[in-house]
Amino acid sequence: MSAVTTHAHDSHAEAHDHEVPYEVQLKSNRLGLWLFLFSEIFLFGALFVTRFVLWGNTRPELSQEVGLFATSILLFSSYFMYRSEVGAAHGDQKTFLRSALIAAGLGLLFLLSVIVLEWNVFGLSGEIAGIEIFGHLKPSDGVYGGVFFAMTGMHALHVISGVFLILVIWWNGRKRRFTPERHWGVEGTAIYWHYVDVVWIFFYPALYLMGQPV
Amino acid sequence: MSEKRAAAYRLGLITLLILAVLTIAEFYVAVALESIVLLFIIALVKAAIIIQNFMHVTRLWREESH
Repeated sequence: MSAVTTHAHDSHAEAHDHEVPYEVQLKSNRLGLWLFLFSEIFLFGALFVTRFVLWGNTRPELSQEVGLFATSILLFSSYFMYRSEVGAAHGDQKTFLRSALIAAGLGLLFLLSVIVLEWNVFGLSGEIAGIEIFGHLKPSDGVYGGVFFAMTGMHALHVISGVFLILVIWWNGRKRRFTPERHWGVEGTAIYWHYVDVVWIFFYPALYLMGQPV
Repeated sequence: MSEKRAAAYRLGLITLLILAVLTIAEFYVAVALESIVLLFIIALVKAAIIIQNFMHVTRLWREESH
């Protein structure tokens, strides 16, 4: 009996010895995430270059107001994600949870503005204060439709996964699974969410602002 | 509220304001100047600010935990 206990104790001590220190693990996690994001540059970069090859110095006629609105929403969402991370890092539970929820909500609003207004999946039409808010571009509209839906679609997929991750950390945060010392989940999600914003920072002018409208 | 935490929240707000100003500038550059190069430079500056202030890229090579 005593031998069994000693053996179990030794195994536990051995396992403990092989445990990677948290600081080392954290550095590896950060490097891994950044390498993943770096690999994503090839995907988004290819779409970005495709726009310039196929559209040249032209662009489809899109609602400038909707584009600016969606961009502002994503910018505010990024800000609230930052606040959420700062809250988690400093033990400010209330700010952490509330800001995460606002960031996710704004992410969903961005998604809705792209799907309902820009893609116009319900085929609506209408104006607010003289501004046409529903898009008319279809994926089948030649290179303009193809490139526009490829770029916004791939970005929207990343927004969906980002919102899901934010809701996961919010749920875990409610159960107090993060501490100021250990909150890699929050930090990693925030970095991913800001990356989604950075991609849109390049996509927005490429789709809405650069070139002559045709 | 600790000084460090207040400074972190302040940095977030300043970053948001700078990004908002650059976004509006971007819009006017497109309308008034129609310069693709300038628009691309503004996008690069905005991305750099987010990578530095929000994504904390320097943590990659800094010796620290949380």
